[in-house]
Amino acid sequence: MEIGDVYSSRQLDEAEGEQIESLKARSQQPIPDPDEWLEQELERNILVTSVDAILNWSRRSSLWPAICFPACCAFELIATAASRFDISRFGMEVIRASPRQGDLMITAGTLTWKMAPQVKRIYDQMPEPKWVIAMGACAISGGIFASSYSVVPGYNRIIPVDVYVPGCPPRPEALLYGIRMLQQKISKMSLVTEGR
Amino acid sequence: MTVALSGEEIASQIEENFPGSIVESSPKSIVVNKESLFAVASYLKTTPGLDFDYLTAITAVDYYDYFEVIYQLTSLQHNHSLVVKTRCYGRDNPTLPSVVSLWRGADFQEREIYDLFGIGFGGHPNLKRIFLWEGFQGHPLRKDYL
Amino acid sequence: MLADYGYIGLLLVVAIFFAVTTLLLPFFLSLPARLEVYFRRLRQYLLLNYPFFYKLLPPFSLPRFMQIVPYNPNPVKSSTFECGMETIGKAWVQFNFRYYFYALVFIALDVLVVFLYPWAVDLRKLGLFGFIGVVIFIFIIVIGYIYAWRKRVLEWK
Repeated sequence: MEIGDVYSSRQLDEAEGEQIESLKARSQQPIPDPDEWLEQELERNILVTSVDAILNWSRRSSLWPAICFPACCAFELIATAASRFDISRFGMEVIRASPRQGDLMITAGTLTWKMAPQVKRIYDQMPEPKWVIAMGACAISGGIFASSYSVVPGYNRIIPVDVYVPGCPPRPEALLYGIRMLQQKISKMSLVTEGR
Repeated sequence: MTVALSGEEIASQIEENFPGSIVESSPKSIVVNKESLFAVASYLKTTPGLDFDYLTAITAVDYYDYFEVIYQLTSLQHNHSLVVKTRCYGRDNPTLPSVVSLWRGADFQEREIYDLFGIGFGGHPNLKRIFLWEGFQGHPLRKDYL
Repeated sequence: MLADYGYIGLLLVVAIFFAVTTLLLPFFLSLPARLEVYFRRLRQYLLLNYPFFYKLLPPFSLPRFMQIVPYNPNPVKSSTFECGMETIGKAWVQFNFRYYFYALVFIALDVLVVFLYPWAVDLRKLGLFGFIGVVIFIFIIVIGYIYAWRKRVLEWK
């Protein structure tokens, strides 16, 4: 095999570079957190409330995470999924590689601009309803790499985030607290509003 | 334990075969000038008794006056190692000969040095950015990047 | 008739009901949202090609509380999953021909084994005659197998 056979073509690299540059240009401002519906007081009738209760209970009790583990926070997530700090008791032990079967994206790790289009694409390929937990300092704001040339300063530049879990890395108990906050948020969702 | 060869002994041996190639030598490393880098490298690889057939790493450092590229060689047969350094003066398009034809492992490492420092390697089959994307302006690990 | 089986019949009914519900309930619950999307697409199509009918068909959307299962397709969401990358080329690749050799030899020997099972069950009744017959049968098949082996069909290079 010639030495030149194993390399990808120049056009592929340039296309990828343009994709990254355009994503970077579009992501200069963080996406605002989708939280306005939380404060609204709702008028609900009894029928919708029951359906709401069932739906929200079923959705929050069986959140399946989709894989998004770029860096070190992944180990804390794995520790949380292991037997000591079980997330299986919340119905979340099924960590699916395919985003089609996941509804929660726990972003555990630093995101670089080179990886950003891929993560955005995976988020786009998840079916609704979907939620995002930004885990760790790098996911919230870029962490200690915030001013780096290649690090995205926080996942909320490219995808909307529901819950932020601080820590570097956050302890499993902190992540479980963040998951509990997300479950409380889901329990407030309703069919009659635009709550996602 | 891999024996780290003393630079001074190797320097005298190289100086016999390639006069004028050694810039300085110390117990830890030898510094060659870049014109004779490829000849010295192939000599180190092919000479029985030295046989440096494994390139452990190539890395680069930016001192303000020059770039220094450091080759760490190991011999699997004799279990000894050596550090070879070169210096590139000048900050616009410094170039070095590529050692990919001697050691295939230099392929990606030279791409990394090109990506982050901007040092070109002549004779490299596929010299393009490896960590950063095409279209990225600048070379980040230079001291004058920010 | 199902009642004759007692509890087993009841279990069967429950199992079938459960399976059918798992398949059909999401389908029916997603119908309101999907019908709305199809209706919107129909209106777009009519707007482009049959403007007269477009005017006849007013925009109609079901109330949000009826859309229990969301359905919001877009081109990126419906694209093929390749770990975040865009796919290049098609997935219809040519398979290695060595798989075919292995499958062929397997089929021949598998059919032999299928014939051996009932023979083995009734071996005592069949006696020596049955035994010799099957040995001849195996011998014939094994000749073919040794031929394939010597022709290096089962090597994977």
